[in-house]
Amino acid sequence: MKLRHSIGFLIIIAFLAYSFTVFQTSLTPYVSFAQAKSSTGAVQVRGVLATEKITVTENGKTVTFSLRDEAGEEVSVIYQGAKPEGLDQATSIVAVGKYQNDQFVAEKLLIKCPSKYQGSVKPS
Amino acid sequence: MRRSFLSILGIFIWTVGVIYAVFTIVPPAEGLGNLVRIAFFHIPVAWVSVLAFLLSAVWAFQYLRTRKPEHDWRSSAAVSIGFAFCILATVSGATFAKLTWGAYWNWDPRQTTIFILLLIYGAYLALRSAIEDEEQKARIAAVYSLCSFITVPFLVFIIPRYYFSLHPAPVINSAARIEMDKIMLAVLIAALIACTAIFWQLLTYRVNSRQKREAAAISGEEGVKQ
Repeated sequence: MKLRHSIGFLIIIAFLAYSFTVFQTSLTPYVSFAQAKSSTGAVQVRGVLATEKITVTENGKTVTFSLRDEAGEEVSVIYQGAKPEGLDQATSIVAVGKYQNDQFVAEKLLIKCPSKYQGSVKPS
Repeated sequence: MRRSFLSILGIFIWTVGVIYAVFTIVPPAEGLGNLVRIAFFHIPVAWVSVLAFLLSAVWAFQYLRTRKPEHDWRSSAAVSIGFAFCILATVSGATFAKLTWGAYWNWDPRQTTIFILLLIYGAYLALRSAIEDEEQKARIAAVYSLCSFITVPFLVFIIPRYYFSLHPAPVINSAARIEMDKIMLAVLIAALIACTAIFWQLLTYRVNSRQKREAAAISGEEGVKQ
């Protein structure tokens, strides 16, 4: 009885370890530009602003900036839409879209803001 | 009866006080602004769901050891209430995500893992409702509850810290330090106490009413025999 229990327990642990290794890549939707270039569908590339320069067209409908991914590759990202709030201060940016003609065309931009659970008015 | 009324009144006053503090004392946070107030709901409900799943596993273990039905009532009540709190954490999290990242759902590692958690414990509830025999139900559910709790540390604590996530760093960050404004921390602790007390009250209510029903059923049976 005891032996059977420990075998069952071991099987569960082994299965968990196995599923963890299998799902390791699919647990995160975020990829690098290198992976984005080789994929045909929409992907999510995460990175940081390579330079502080964010260009917004006059009518305010197109935003262009340079995004540096984790591997250090910099690609210019073009986004059709209003500039998301907090883009300048973002600690990470996730661009959802496709890599086309040396550019990353984003359908959506997700912003990770610096959140430090500190009051915004700092005591001087 | 009087005691339970007093504890409900106490929890009510405490919770109202916490809500008042969240909206008045807590300062707008750097970067998050007023959105930080959602965290005082989101963190406590998420904490309670983990606590509930842990308690369910503990009572499941005790049930398997002693075979006393009370342990099964506690274990199952903990899962059903914990499941409800887990849904609240998911919904408040998705709202928070929409307001900060810009999307309700993005299959972020945090969101994927809480989704898996909901599936696991949803299956527990389905499993229980599928078995008629009370003793068999209690036994199988206890084993299931114990096994599923093995996944909780991975899903809640390890995977989200291992992968990049849009989710803000946990209050106790990976450097095991609490980086939080003192007032915020005090209010958060008060909110955690409130939420845990509400959970405990709901659990006691469910277990007690089950106990009464069982007692009534037993005395009813005896009445028939006589």
